[in-house]
Amino acid sequence: MDADPTTPDLALLTGGPLVSSAELETSLGWTLKAEGLCRDEVCVLVPDRDAIERDGLVDVVAVAGLLDRPVAHDIESDVVAIGAPRASRRGALDDLLAPDFVLPDLDGTAHALSDHRSKKRLLVAFSSW
Amino acid sequence: MAIDENVEAIRGFMDGITYPVLIDAEHLLTDLYAISNVPSVVLIDEDDRIVQPNWNAYATDTFKEYTGIDSGEQLELIRRWVIDGTALISPDEAREAVGHLSVDEEHAHLLFRIANYLRRSGDEQGASRNYDLAAELAPHDWTIRRAMMPLRGGDPFGAEFFALAEEYAAAGRPFHGIAARSE
Repeated sequence: MDADPTTPDLALLTGGPLVSSAELETSLGWTLKAEGLCRDEVCVLVPDRDAIERDGLVDVVAVAGLLDRPVAHDIESDVVAIGAPRASRRGALDDLLAPDFVLPDLDGTAHALSDHRSKKRLLVAFSSW
Repeated sequence: MAIDENVEAIRGFMDGITYPVLIDAEHLLTDLYAISNVPSVVLIDEDDRIVQPNWNAYATDTFKEYTGIDSGEQLELIRRWVIDGTALISPDEAREAVGHLSVDEEHAHLLFRIANYLRRSGDEQGASRNYDLAAELAPHDWTIRRAMMPLRGGDPFGAEFFALAEEYAAAGRPFHGIAARSE
């Protein structure tokens, strides 16, 4: 299983949806505890434990559902992709709050939108295609 | 921000550029900002507010004949915003313009990433399967449909592009943001 460390809003799991608790924490940043799915001080209730846990492993597709994160599972290759939480993503745009992000420049140096806080910013999404 | 994994192609545009140019190989920003085509220009003020979302704006007239868009007018609007803070549109108009990705479009973005992973791993068939499904779910999202062309050995400036442009026009040019006013 691989998790892309540069983009915490996205996760790609290559060994199918069933992962260990350690893998769950590396890929999505959440831990399954007695009180629910937890990250830092926040816990999300898990209404049906059997729906997300199987044979001591955790089903990330079910977890993504509980965390309001869109998920796609290509069954043939067993690759799972998980996106950023839907409500907070949509809420930011509804409130016209520019989402922060970190991306590398052409030499691999990371830049964040918030590096340029308190300034007017012009972002151009472009491409070679 | 290049919505593109082809770093060498992007490097080719960098002559004389002094501001940061970032590579968004996994199309993270298309999710966060609900971007569906390029160029999409976002103006953000000092308080992190989006004042002009996903604007189809140009710095030059290179594509004017095709788009009908006058870059000079757009640059003047940007200049006024920079100099005296004159907003181009109201916050309500901005909210209205950006829209949200549909659930299908969100799903398509994820399938596109799976397809990229499978292509890089040498699973061409698996990549094709996921690219095809992504295209089906987000038929008017150029960051999916056109971006996949070079990744699948196609030409994003060839017949495929013109076919997609016709399909897009027939659908009424659905765009997440402030589309060009060329008509």
